[in-house]
Amino acid sequence: MCLGIPGKIVEMYGTEGLPMGVVDFGGVRREVCLAYVADEVKPGDYAIVHVGFAISLVDEEEALRTYEALKELDQLDEIEWMSEIGSGRPPGPAETPEG
Amino acid sequence: MKYLSEYRDPELARSLVDRIRAESSRSWTLMEVCGGQTHTIVKQGIPEVLGDSVELIHGPGCPVCVTPLEQIDRALYLAERPEVIFTSFGDMLRVPGSECDLFQVRARGGEVRVVYSPLDALELARANPDREIVFFAVGFETTAPANAMAVWRARELDVPNFSVLVSHVTVPPAMTAILESPDNRVEGFLAAGHVCTVMGWEEYEPLASAHRVPIVVTGFEPVDILEGIWMAVRQLEEGRSEVENQYARSVRRDGNRPAREIVSRVFQLVDRQWRGIGEIPASGLGLRPEFAPWDAEKKFELGGIRATEPEECRAGDVLRGRIKPVECAAFGGACTPETPLGAPMVSSEGACAAYWAYARYRGTDSAPGAASREGAASGTPGAP
Amino acid sequence: MTDPREQGNAPKTPSAGSVAAAGLSCPVPAAAGDRVLLGHGSGGKLSARLIRDRFLPRFSNPALAPLGDGAIVPLGDERFVISTDTFVVSPLEFPGGDIGLLAVHGTLNDVAMMGAEAVCLSSGFVLEEGLPLEVLDRVLDSMAWAAGEAGVPLVTGDTKVVERGKADGLYVNTTGIGRLREGFEPAPDRAEPGDVILVSGAIGRHGIAVMSVREGLGFEVEVESDTAHLGPLVAGLSVACGDAVRVLRDPTRGGVASALNEIAAASGVHIALDGAALPVPVPVHAACEVLGLDPLYVANEGILVAVVRPDSEESALRALRGHPTGAGARKIGVVESGPAGMVSLKTGLGGSRVVDMLPGDQLPRIC
Repeated sequence: MCLGIPGKIVEMYGTEGLPMGVVDFGGVRREVCLAYVADEVKPGDYAIVHVGFAISLVDEEEALRTYEALKELDQLDEIEWMSEIGSGRPPGPAETPEG
Repeated sequence: MKYLSEYRDPELARSLVDRIRAESSRSWTLMEVCGGQTHTIVKQGIPEVLGDSVELIHGPGCPVCVTPLEQIDRALYLAERPEVIFTSFGDMLRVPGSECDLFQVRARGGEVRVVYSPLDALELARANPDREIVFFAVGFETTAPANAMAVWRARELDVPNFSVLVSHVTVPPAMTAILESPDNRVEGFLAAGHVCTVMGWEEYEPLASAHRVPIVVTGFEPVDILEGIWMAVRQLEEGRSEVENQYARSVRRDGNRPAREIVSRVFQLVDRQWRGIGEIPASGLGLRPEFAPWDAEKKFELGGIRATEPEECRAGDVLRGRIKPVECAAFGGACTPETPLGAPMVSSEGACAAYWAYARYRGTDSAPGAASREGAASGTPGAP
Repeated sequence: MTDPREQGNAPKTPSAGSVAAAGLSCPVPAAAGDRVLLGHGSGGKLSARLIRDRFLPRFSNPALAPLGDGAIVPLGDERFVISTDTFVVSPLEFPGGDIGLLAVHGTLNDVAMMGAEAVCLSSGFVLEEGLPLEVLDRVLDSMAWAAGEAGVPLVTGDTKVVERGKADGLYVNTTGIGRLREGFEPAPDRAEPGDVILVSGAIGRHGIAVMSVREGLGFEVEVESDTAHLGPLVAGLSVACGDAVRVLRDPTRGGVASALNEIAAASGVHIALDGAALPVPVPVHAACEVLGLDPLYVANEGILVAVVRPDSEESALRALRGHPTGAGARKIGVVESGPAGMVSLKTGLGGSRVVDMLPGDQLPRIC
């Protein structure tokens, strides 16, 4: 369950004492309740939004780190794969299915 | 979209598939707890590309599927009342009650509206002071802070014509029930990333060590899910059973403190029925007594509405692993995605609906998709 | 905020105002399937069943039987196409268009999908008491512009006015008549294994544009309806490929997925889509992510799906791209022999999934 989508906080304000804001999801904008992230976010930050509530600040460093780590693994794979080809071994059971 | 498209990179995903397949010394059985993860898994055809290396069992983390029949019937009763505008997330409109669904109530003149956020329902109440606005507050821990805030604000802003019909459930008791079931086959879990965004993962640590299962807090995009699977497989291969966090860009160890705070002030733990599964003790959230004026069950005295699940629908047996969907006499006849008898036929990720689609596609029960659904059966908890 | 229609229909049931009796299981009487549901109009399975069970048995005749976008009727030596469509859109005006544009484009496109060249249009209006005349003027301006641009005259019409609350501002019906071209007869049952599936442009724009201003979901989306006349694209295809064009469909309600399912069923073939090839604009993609929708099921009003013989793929794409409406044309899949009657999609990962017809409307989801 729990569809949550990252969006960029473009505006922050209060409505009758409740922290609210506008979040942009790749061109789609919506008013979102920021009560649960208000202390840690500023406009320009990314938040995960579920049913109109920001439930977390996206940790951009962490996001980058994960992605880079996976990218490195991927490149490593390619090198291994090439060396396997070079040694005449078949790619084996982990052969990439064609897309 | 930033923070989505990176985690859909097919190259990255394929290299993870390669690693999982290369590093699995045997076929491991993992359960993804969350319906959102199931959605990605089905949509991307992940079981097919993983082949024999991992069997994925779809967990009970879909509020549409586990909301008990009785609460659906209560929703239908409320939606039919002329003074009520019944508001709900879109998912719930097609879930069958004992006799009909919310769509059919709407066709008969009941006022039923889809809202995106519970705060929208509260606004509707303020704009229509002469009507009763009831919101169907379903969901897991992720949705609880949103629903709690709507009730909190109703009290703060003094909105008497707003109430919530609550059917909240929590994940850890369901995971415990699965692990304690005598026919459990689950060897590792992908924990629900957004549930943990709110709750953190501390409560999973005793579970992982007591039952010696790896638990990996996992996100929702294909790369997230495959990385989560890979992390769980590595733990299994190395004989570890720890809680690891794949979804670190959103999940902190102690979750979201302000959100947990409001949830604990508005809700309290209650025993809860899970559709097709039965009652799991302390597995749900109900409103605290001080919020009774906004509790639709009390306001409209719904206690008299009771329901038993239809005999011809064997969703309970399917969820407990006693039968395959195709062994149900109603399957494909009286019960299809158009006219579902039970919740697993409603959402396209439900065991019965998925089985139905894949069986027709493959012309056989032995499809990877179908096979993993069969597994879903035996992994889900029996009635306590 | 309250919808006057639904208020006007508020039921007077015995249970109103009273407390639920013990043992009551469901407030609605049995036989719940005895009413028309909104889903009957969604273009999905419910719509198909309504037509199959209630309309076809009563009106059965050879011209109706193929259930195309229109019917082929012989008149003397010539064969004509007649097609009719009724437009109910809320709101009447939306980003990129209004009900008037839809009414003219929709019917002209249905005529075009039969392979015919439109000759004339008729139109019937149901107007609600109280509709601002300036709104009517704008809708009529749109219709006049669209008909003029297409070079198809609106030759007859009718108006009726109903009491306030009995219609959603205005409803429009349009009927179009077209002349069939020689040697060019696309039909839903002509797809064959090996054929290629082309789409003339980006998918999902109309449905998302309308949804952004409807439903009270509170979203702002920078996307406009794609409403457009597809006649010029069909004319181009007929010249470039002739009879190698086997099927033409405009994937309106129910989206590309429903249109392809209908083709797969009518032709007894399997359609295999390439998920990576689907042209989904960024804002449509974003709106679908946020609401949990699948763009394959979102409505379009200005694209066509063409099933074309493989040797004509290049010429068909060139013909489509030669017109601004078809600039984004591309191949999205192929026709295979089986499993027949179904549509599947190959994912970027190399997995596959079934793209089924939806039972009814696509709903925003939380899970």
